[in-house]
Amino acid sequence: MATRAPDRPAAPPRPPGKRRRFNGRHWRYQADVKGSPYAYVAPFFLLFCAFGLFPLLYTAWVSLHEWTLLQDEHEFLGLDNFIAVVQDSYFWNATFNTLSIGFLSTAPQLLLAIWLAHLLNRPLRAQTLFRVTLLLPNVTSVVAVVVIFSQIFGRDFGLLNWVLSLFGAGEIDWRAGTGTSHIAISTMIMWRWTGYNALILLAAMQAVPRELYEAATIDGASNLTQLRKITIPMIRPTMIFVVITSTIGAMQIFAEPLLFGAYSVTGGQDRQYQTLALFIYENFARLDFGYASAISWMMFLFIIVIAGINFLLTSRTKGDLR
Amino acid sequence: MSTLPRRRVTRLVVPLIAASLLAACGGEDPAPSGGASASQPAEKVTLTVALFSDFHYAPLYEEFKKTHPNVTITERRSQFNDHHNNLVTQLATGAGAADVVAIEGGFIATFQQVPDKFYNLADYGLTSRQSEYLDWKWQLGLAADGKTLLGLGTDVGGLAMCYRPDLFKKAGLPTNRDEVSALWPTWDAYVETGKKFVAGGVKDAAFTDGPGEHFRAMVEQAPVGFYDASNNLVVATNPDVKKAFDMGVSMIQNKLSGKLTAFTPEWTTGIAKGTFATMVCPAWKTGVIKDQKPGEGTWDIAAVPGGGGNQGGTHLMAPKQGKHPKEAAELINFLTSKESQLTLWKDASALPSLPALYEDPAVSTYVNPYFGDAPIGKIFTDAAKALKPQHTGPKSGDVLLAMGNGLSRVELQNQAPEEAWAQAVADAEKIK
Amino acid sequence: MRAAKGMRLTYLTLLGVAFFTALPLYFSVVVASRDNAALAQVPPPMIPGGNFFENIGRVFETVPFALAMLNSVIVSGSIAVAVMFLSTLAGFAFAKLRFRGRQALLLITVATMMVPSLLGMIPLYMLMVKLEWTGSIYALIVPGLVNAFGVFFMTQYLSRALPTELLEAGRVDGCTTWGLVWHVVFPAARPAAAVLGMLTFMNAWNDYMWPLLVLTPENPTVQVALSTLAAGYVNDYVMGLAGTALGTLPLVLVFALLGKHIIGGIMQGAVKG
Repeated sequence: MATRAPDRPAAPPRPPGKRRRFNGRHWRYQADVKGSPYAYVAPFFLLFCAFGLFPLLYTAWVSLHEWTLLQDEHEFLGLDNFIAVVQDSYFWNATFNTLSIGFLSTAPQLLLAIWLAHLLNRPLRAQTLFRVTLLLPNVTSVVAVVVIFSQIFGRDFGLLNWVLSLFGAGEIDWRAGTGTSHIAISTMIMWRWTGYNALILLAAMQAVPRELYEAATIDGASNLTQLRKITIPMIRPTMIFVVITSTIGAMQIFAEPLLFGAYSVTGGQDRQYQTLALFIYENFARLDFGYASAISWMMFLFIIVIAGINFLLTSRTKGDLR
Repeated sequence: MSTLPRRRVTRLVVPLIAASLLAACGGEDPAPSGGASASQPAEKVTLTVALFSDFHYAPLYEEFKKTHPNVTITERRSQFNDHHNNLVTQLATGAGAADVVAIEGGFIATFQQVPDKFYNLADYGLTSRQSEYLDWKWQLGLAADGKTLLGLGTDVGGLAMCYRPDLFKKAGLPTNRDEVSALWPTWDAYVETGKKFVAGGVKDAAFTDGPGEHFRAMVEQAPVGFYDASNNLVVATNPDVKKAFDMGVSMIQNKLSGKLTAFTPEWTTGIAKGTFATMVCPAWKTGVIKDQKPGEGTWDIAAVPGGGGNQGGTHLMAPKQGKHPKEAAELINFLTSKESQLTLWKDASALPSLPALYEDPAVSTYVNPYFGDAPIGKIFTDAAKALKPQHTGPKSGDVLLAMGNGLSRVELQNQAPEEAWAQAVADAEKIK
Repeated sequence: MRAAKGMRLTYLTLLGVAFFTALPLYFSVVVASRDNAALAQVPPPMIPGGNFFENIGRVFETVPFALAMLNSVIVSGSIAVAVMFLSTLAGFAFAKLRFRGRQALLLITVATMMVPSLLGMIPLYMLMVKLEWTGSIYALIVPGLVNAFGVFFMTQYLSRALPTELLEAGRVDGCTTWGLVWHVVFPAARPAAAVLGMLTFMNAWNDYMWPLLVLTPENPTVQVALSTLAAGYVNDYVMGLAGTALGTLPLVLVFALLGKHIIGGIMQGAVKG
């Protein structure tokens, strides 16, 4: 993934003529330039090797077996679990739900986040207050979020149905339908993560040189034009970051549907809001570790594909200022 | 609370993260665990007890320590689902489980399949307790092989039918609990009563919450449930399961149901608001009702149709990871003893699983003013006594969920009953 | 005056967003200060009731909340500091230094974020058993010291915000790579690092599934302690929300008090960049 090559290679080597005289220093210099990049990325990879790689390989191994938790013998199946997953209609149902909830929550969330960050990226009174407010939803635990939103989206006593009834609309059973439950769950996710992403984008926007805006304002460019022509191109790397991490997060949605359904591992009577992660959890709760591992690996592949597509889409939208 | 010496050693050994990373990557064996326990006689013993809520055991621990001065007891509590899921992980990975664990009825089938993960309490002389217990409760504590004694029962969840006299009155039905019980000796009679309730024209209230719990109660009253004695899934062929499903469908078709799923927010608030007039009520649900503050006397308690029943109730087991099986077994024996169960009934309204206690005036004459002076001790123990043992299959919880989802599809999505049944059976048969 | 009108619109929009952001939170405090029946009222109650301190008292009676707070502060604090530091280093290397395998390593880093976290729990637990860290907060801190999210974030931020010319100038002045990190990279990274630290702290504070498995309720974090408030068969929403409010309040306070400094850091970085 060519996220972003450095604009220009840093650290041009010293003039070659001095090589012989400062031999000792040069050696140290070479070691510094060649070695330090590895030293700087090493902590991450060491930690990943210790705590990330082993679980990954272990589940890959498990996915090739008939592996029931608590049983000590595991029969080798080869790819049978994967074949079963691909033929399982509930797997595709969960995939659809994940994509649907993911799209419904991520797309508006990102647009809103850019817009909010843009609004906050200018001299305002009560800056701190607004920024802290943006973070509040993310400070709250997901359990509390779901309790509150379950009330809001309640069928009989919910805040939203009450407001709708003031406009003469009928009662909606948000949990029962596919579309309605997806909207309810997406709303929770949006509420929780929009401010978070806005803040990340804002941090990047702050690094855009002011002069660019001043020049554009003199040229009479409107606010929206400035956002489109200056801000977004200038913060593209961070945009890519936000799009990819949000995509990954959306593909792994788990706690919201589980708690929204009052611990229904099937995600509703018709699996209408069972996401992939919840589908894994269901098989996990049935102690079918082998099958759950196979689903996880499929999910892993999906995420790579979708994150890749999103990356391409995001980096395509050129209009570069440089 | 790190009384285990080896944990303290670890803390000293691993201040350097880098060192530990190498150990992890290189697969080096960890320091030998200081098995300081079993080797020394008359040593200090710490027992951990893992529960999924406050069982009100604290005074009993003090009592136990009087006869076991060398034992220290620490208690862990986790959320209901987390408690059981974590236990699975701990058993599967071989570490982290407490010395004594509580296992609720809905999860017990899972653990019955793996007797080798628990101490056989028969080895510690606890088989002697069999004669004290309700037969079905004792059976639940046995492993799938029918021999290994995994756990002893604590409480049971005798089944009743909770109802709202105010709504019954509006519908022109009797309100006195004995007359109400007489209305529904069978589930068919219960459905007929529901039809009368609907005809009575009560506004904004359904006859009952939803068909799921009724279906479950009816299946569990049958001699055979989802599995036969040799663990074959018989959902498709057992007429009693189909009968229960059809009863659920007829509840829906006659508009008796409020389309509510138990434990969703609409349901819990419905208890206070009176959006439904009856619900299947294990003993512990009285606590749920009280929490919603519907007001004293709003709910009353009558007998459950079909004669007897149980939902929930807990067993105490000793995972084999524990280092002190003897003490653990003694603690289990003590916590489930007649005296302890009577104390727990008084302190925590936990319904005893020992029939001898049902004659005790503290149980048999107890009336609860919150439920219109209902003799709840008698009602719930009668139901527990009347229940016949039924073989619980390995995945009965998952099968129940699949069947319940079928009924909900009929109710919430107008799926044709035959279709819902076929899909539910197919789902159940997919469960390995 | 188009500009003034635009500003008024901005304030109105932001106030609207702030309102909808705060409303559910406010409502959760309302419920936490009443009883379970508050969730059943139509229209819902909007004024806090009188039970807040009683409910908080129940929380303190039920769980070792002070210890949980201490553990959470230690865990979240050390993770946040480590993530800020190590991610900046790695992000700098990925964004501005040339070395063999850079692209591949960055790709791997991003890919590691995509591993479904739910499934890694059992093998990770096995690992902790081997290390004898179950029940100890090491099991939370050490795996969290640096993460792909932070590395990727700093890489993307620094690739634009850190002028290559500045680095070249530093080299000409005879700076070692570490010298560059100290004098050029850290100052430029400050705004993003502040945000990253804040977000990391919050995530660590709210982490739930893993601590629940690997810690015991005797030595909990706030989230683990809160989970034990459950009443058995049915969750006690009010107590849960009261506990959540109690667990959240310190965070809100920290942000409110340090907010100026964090925001200040952001502004300062902006001027320099």
